[in-house]
Amino acid sequence: MNTPEIQIKNVGMVYQVNNGEEIVALTDINLDIQEGEFISLLGPSGCGKTTLLRIIADLLQPTSGSVSIRGQSPKEIRMQHKYGIVFQSPVLYDWRTVRRNVCMPMEIMGIPKKERTARITRMLELVGLRDFGNKYPFELSGGMQQRVGIARALALDPEFLLMDEPFSALDEFTREKLNEDLLSIWSKTKKTVIFVTHNIPESVFLSDRVVVLSPHPGRISAIVDIDLPRPRQNSIRETSEFYEHVTKIRRSFEGV
Amino acid sequence: MAISKKEQRIVAIVWIIGIIVVWELFAFLLKNVIHDPMAAMKLPYPHTVAMTFLENWKTLLEAGLVTFSRAAIGFTLGAIIGILLAVIMSLSKTMEKIAFPYLIISQMIPVLGLAPIIFNIVRDMNVSRIVIAAYITFFPVAVNMLSGLKSVEQDQKDLLFSIAANKFKIYQKLMFPFAMSYLFTGLKIAAPMAVTASILVDMLGSQGGIGVKILYSLYSNSTNIFWASVFTSAFMGIISFYIVIFAERLCLPWQNAAPKKDGVRA
Repeated sequence: MNTPEIQIKNVGMVYQVNNGEEIVALTDINLDIQEGEFISLLGPSGCGKTTLLRIIADLLQPTSGSVSIRGQSPKEIRMQHKYGIVFQSPVLYDWRTVRRNVCMPMEIMGIPKKERTARITRMLELVGLRDFGNKYPFELSGGMQQRVGIARALALDPEFLLMDEPFSALDEFTREKLNEDLLSIWSKTKKTVIFVTHNIPESVFLSDRVVVLSPHPGRISAIVDIDLPRPRQNSIRETSEFYEHVTKIRRSFEGV
Repeated sequence: MAISKKEQRIVAIVWIIGIIVVWELFAFLLKNVIHDPMAAMKLPYPHTVAMTFLENWKTLLEAGLVTFSRAAIGFTLGAIIGILLAVIMSLSKTMEKIAFPYLIISQMIPVLGLAPIIFNIVRDMNVSRIVIAAYITFFPVAVNMLSGLKSVEQDQKDLLFSIAANKFKIYQKLMFPFAMSYLFTGLKIAAPMAVTASILVDMLGSQGGIGVKILYSLYSNSTNIFWASVFTSAFMGIISFYIVIFAERLCLPWQNAAPKKDGVRA
């Protein structure tokens, strides 16, 4: 195997609460992620999956251990715009049209206007929003808003994509549709994806590996390989192999 | 229940006509039934006030413009100061803690007391009007703008942080556009207040201005001029409010199009 793209070593996170008490959000996290891999961080609320993602994104600093991404620190990676991030809420700017929302990271980077325009068109094409570029966010459904968020995260052509429960606020039908579309985007862009979710079927459907976290304190309790064939369509959810994987992961929680 | 634009207009017209009719009626009662000798002062006929306004519109307009233009300059200055204060306070918690009590105290001083003090210092009517209008304006602007800057969600800031945006870019791309609707709330509150404050300064003994018209007509018992001046003043306040509304529509086009949530949109 190649050297992993992302190495997470002994990462721990302890929060100080006001009354001096300490809350251990994460303890002793060790994880290697390969280039081009689709990894899910799966677990119930309070297991520290979002905390781990935010540490990788340099939005939080771990209290112990280290994260190394291609030999660089998360901060260096962030400063070089090497990752794109999608949050649970779409985090679109109300005052900007869809096109200008996607454009925003490129404005910060100072990319020339001509290239911006071309890239926006390409990104909207990719997420299936070609005809919605001049709409404002409030004119879009929740699923479409999240697509804009994905287009924006990909606009700077980052090397990997961090997704923090991006579809958890959507209804089941929209979620499954977006799951399928996300895989098609992923297969076109070949980026490493770290995907946080608390939905077992979603993690099975999307991932190469599912990292199961359990709470109190947040730790990795299992890593499950998903060897379902790709490309995957939603019909795969009806197969017995899919069901077996879901069951296996569900059981791993029962032991906790 | 939604009311269409046309219905709204009809409602407004009916109200205006209704008020004028009721007013005429009461003026008639006061003068011809109760035989109040002060009837013309207490409640003159609206049509005589309107006639006076039409006869004197040029001088009223001139006086109004003198006051209004100074109020506008003061308002602009006050708004700039208010915005700057809000930005400084949003940048540093310490600055906010230091400055906020002073802001509150500043609003405890009645303008009626402050105006002569300012006039005695600067000895110039125009400067006094501008200073007082600015003084009235900066507080609601600063408070609303600050509350806007502080209402930006953490995720929105994190997003910019994730692409390594610096402080300046964060303010330019996120904080300012986000706080705009809050800023305009402050401006809408401040605009008529700035006009009223300028009128008040007029009354300290200015040469021109609508406040002077009000004061002199009151002394000289020119009831109709008095009422016409008061209406001109009120009209100036309303105009100032609608200028801000108009500016808001120009600056925040997305707000118009967006459906309002419970009548307010953050």
